[in-house]
Amino acid sequence: MNTSMRHLANWSILGLTLTFLIGPFLIIILAGASNTEYLAFPPEGLTLKWYLKVFTVESFRASFLLSMALAVFGTLAALLLGVPAAYALNRYDLPMAETVRTIVAAPIIVPGIIVGLALLRYMVVPTGVTVTLALFMAHTALVLPYAVRVVSSSMTNLRADMEEAAVLLGCSRLQAFTKVVLPNIRGGVLAAFILGFVTSFNQVPVSLFLSGPGVRTLPIDMLAYMEITFDPSVAALSALLAFMSLAIVFTAERLLGFSRYV
Amino acid sequence: MFRNTREGLALALPAAIFSTLLFLVPVAILLSEAFRGTSGGWSLQGYIDFFSTPLNRTVFLRTLKLGALVAGTAAVIGYAAAFCIVNLGPKSRGKVFGMVVLPLMISPVARTYAWIVILGRTGIVNEAITGLGLSDTPLRLLFTETAVFLGLLQLFLPLMIISLVSAMENIPRDVIPAARVLGASWIEVFFKVILPLTKEGLVIGGTLVFTGALTAYITPAILGGSKVLMLETLLYQRVNVSNDFVSASVIAMILIVMSFSANLLLKRIATARN
Repeated sequence: MNTSMRHLANWSILGLTLTFLIGPFLIIILAGASNTEYLAFPPEGLTLKWYLKVFTVESFRASFLLSMALAVFGTLAALLLGVPAAYALNRYDLPMAETVRTIVAAPIIVPGIIVGLALLRYMVVPTGVTVTLALFMAHTALVLPYAVRVVSSSMTNLRADMEEAAVLLGCSRLQAFTKVVLPNIRGGVLAAFILGFVTSFNQVPVSLFLSGPGVRTLPIDMLAYMEITFDPSVAALSALLAFMSLAIVFTAERLLGFSRYV
Repeated sequence: MFRNTREGLALALPAAIFSTLLFLVPVAILLSEAFRGTSGGWSLQGYIDFFSTPLNRTVFLRTLKLGALVAGTAAVIGYAAAFCIVNLGPKSRGKVFGMVVLPLMISPVARTYAWIVILGRTGIVNEAITGLGLSDTPLRLLFTETAVFLGLLQLFLPLMIISLVSAMENIPRDVIPAARVLGASWIEVFFKVILPLTKEGLVIGGTLVFTGALTAYITPAILGGSKVLMLETLLYQRVNVSNDFVSASVIAMILIVMSFSANLLLKRIATARN
């Protein structure tokens, strides 16, 4: 096979694969702009009304805010637990380090739907904790493994003697941490935040059972909405969410070379 | 390395305790539910009942079948795509690789919903079929195993490609040309050179795709509905429609055992490599 033939074969395979992976998004963007009252592709005419309608649907507004709050505060809480844990696992010779690592990583392995059901049955029902609080804790636990892993890997490159030097020069241990360690792992912490945010925001199975009157995360709300309505607004909302994720990932890549950490 | 163990534990334990209380304990109680006999004591009756229902057996086998099919297809496409990506120049390689990874960051609801637009009654495929006069009425493409298969494949293919690309990058550059010069056909090159050298990546990608497909909820829910139930959607139905927590517990155990064994396998590969 000569070179140009091989080039052609190469790009046609890649073209087909990428069409399969990315094509659906282009379709969704257009489907959300269809001027029909029902979902149609190719659209007969284009309109922005469904994109605008998304913002006026009351339940979307409420569930978007809930998902945002869960993603931001759940990830922050996970970092609050995860950064010290990652630090300890790297800097101390802990007796049960492997056990701690496995326990903290467990939420990744256990399918989310089971976690949601378990929390509903054995936490929300018997103790009367609100669904919102259960959601917050579930999302925190879900993001925790990513926080520990990403922060850990950015800490392995940081030599411990820098910190020891800071202590010898008169810093307290806490000061050594905030002045030497933290600035050096800032990129990792930010990357962990972004990864955690995206994971939490897109999460469905965990939240499936953890919903109550007026309390629904955005993806769950979309599932409920598409069961009763067949207009293009879910397509429009899907396209907007895709743009939001892309914007976050691109900004992160530009600012800190996000992909290094993931 | 600091020596003060107590200090270290004080930093690490909050995370571990949090995970234990929120994850391990509730999940363990849930899993124990299927073993609790009606008259107290322990029994396997929950499992026997579950598997003696034909619908449950169908769903169980379908989930395994779709998982294997998706993983197998992803492997075939993945090898072709990964081979092409590795052969690109460094600049376009990064771009193409980025386009493969990007979908992973996007909401699975959005990714799955696109298939409704493609396969729905007024979707692109049906418009084409009726437009060409191949059929007078739109075909039912949604709520079929094919729809679920396509949705899962699109969702998890990137994981396979990523694993295979990093496996192929480790093949020494001259090995494939050398095999060709020595007279191996492309088929022989694949089975005697590429496959043995990328076995690890294939296993990693395969487990990720298989467990992903096994534990996906959104895709079977949106594209399969109650016509094409998979274990996850069956679990949801058992809880929300029939309040049957014993079945839910059995399904949970099946899912956890599969996903745990897959992870053990991955861990063993990782340690074997080190």
